[in-house]
Amino acid sequence: MDSSTLILQPLHRGAEADLFLSQLPPWKVVVKRRVRKAYRHEKLDASIRKERTIRESSAIRDGKIAGARLPSILGLDIERSTIIMTFIDGLLARNILDGMSNARRLALLEELGRQVGFLHSAGITHGDLTTSNIILPADEKPFMVDFGMARKSTDHEDHGSDLHLLQRSLIATHALDAASSLRRVAKGYREVVGEEMAKSSLRKAAEIARRGRYFAIR
Amino acid sequence: MKQDPRLVPTFFLGIESTAHTFGASMIDDQGTIITNVNSTYRPPTGIGIHPRKAAEHHNEVSSSVIEKALQGVGERVSPDAVCYSAGPGLGPCLRIGATISRALALYLDKPLVPVHHGVAHLDLAMAAGRSHDPLAVLVSGGHTAMAVHLNKRWRIYGETEDITLGNLLDMFAREAKLPSPGGVAVESKAKEGQTLLALPYTVKGNDVAYSGLLTAAIRLLKEGKSLPDICFSIQEVSFAMLSEAVERSLVQTRKKEVLLAGGVAANQRLREMIQLVAEDHGATFHPVPIEYSGDCGAQIACSGRLAFESGVTVPVPESFVNPRWRLDEIEVPWIPRP
Repeated sequence: MDSSTLILQPLHRGAEADLFLSQLPPWKVVVKRRVRKAYRHEKLDASIRKERTIRESSAIRDGKIAGARLPSILGLDIERSTIIMTFIDGLLARNILDGMSNARRLALLEELGRQVGFLHSAGITHGDLTTSNIILPADEKPFMVDFGMARKSTDHEDHGSDLHLLQRSLIATHALDAASSLRRVAKGYREVVGEEMAKSSLRKAAEIARRGRYFAIR
Repeated sequence: MKQDPRLVPTFFLGIESTAHTFGASMIDDQGTIITNVNSTYRPPTGIGIHPRKAAEHHNEVSSSVIEKALQGVGERVSPDAVCYSAGPGLGPCLRIGATISRALALYLDKPLVPVHHGVAHLDLAMAAGRSHDPLAVLVSGGHTAMAVHLNKRWRIYGETEDITLGNLLDMFAREAKLPSPGGVAVESKAKEGQTLLALPYTVKGNDVAYSGLLTAAIRLLKEGKSLPDICFSIQEVSFAMLSEAVERSLVQTRKKEVLLAGGVAANQRLREMIQLVAEDHGATFHPVPIEYSGDCGAQIACSGRLAFESGVTVPVPESFVNPRWRLDEIEVPWIPRP
């Protein structure tokens, strides 16, 4: 798919990619373009951008098939390392979590647990699961976005790391109580992946937190 | 407010003794470096630093290095505080520096100041590069980390999950029978290389991992690939990994300065890449001057002065060395700088 003819409106500039808004009637779309990095050797740069574009789009596709709420991939322009996907209209969990009532927040955490469960049961790790990568539409049913660091994995270590990152972001960015938040995330997660897998993922998450490599930013 | 000059130390002696370098430096209370004398242990080609051999070297050169540092540019000056590198580093080396510093502090009857080697790298780089509140990138044999200052401490935003960038270059140089220091040898060989060979590129979030890259590079060497090409590829891939992690940290922290410090910061290609990342995000680039990139006494004196002025001293009986002292385990209330 040739994305060069789309009219792009800048939406966000990330570390790795630029996000644009565009129209692909009848859809309002997000165009995610991995840009050439001047610091990187041209050949290395090209292979990294291509590989990640493919990896990200297939992670989203597989996750969606497994039942997770994710944007739909509408097009892939590998030549321009660009993914075109549906625009999710909503607010970042990061910006509204603190203003939510306890009951609504806990319901959201449980639903997030379920969503992560769908990914993991499909053998996908998100890799960068923070509240900045979760969008809440008006119905408050969360969408996970930005699969730039996602990979195929059935390793408990990777599953644990997703849960740990989510927990760290709840504690560090939102100063939520660690035990009660994780309990609700775990409840939803367990519902989807089953007792056995939930147990080993959660155990890994606790182990990663103890390694002390990751820091709660105070 | 002007203080009684008799109560204000005028000169700080810094003793560096964490790994291959024994150094002594005198700075004044404005932070001006008056002397900076260093002697570096060079292991035979193909062999790494043996901690005991390095410690023996330090023991042998210590008195002449310190003597030269005290002689100053003209007249001999006596320090008002003795600052020593208390860690992290090689145990035997740290103990030599600490023992000498304790003896000096007792003999001169002056306070003893323990200094964290990594913090010291950053302090001198910040002073020399006029940086105030940076995203600090510390790359050496002992560290590969990105940190920002928050609430009295350096907070680590990303780091290596296994070996450091300095380890990677040194260990490869050793395998390739390149002379020590390995980083310099790899950089000079890389200039002749042109072809980018495939090496594993591992970035996880803001963290990097280099051990797989080292194994693959050694395999290329055994397969008989051109050494300049391998060196070129090691630099391109490992530095690009670091640059990506720096870029991610920079976007997250929104800092407006990027500081590059540590022995590997002397590498021109790495400086070029980190500068591109900084400028691309509207941040200014503050590389450590080449002469202060490697371990040296001036780093310890510089950081020791700031620590002393914040009230950090240790009584000789309680003084310590800590070979495994994390960058974020120490309070650095003197940052950010005005």
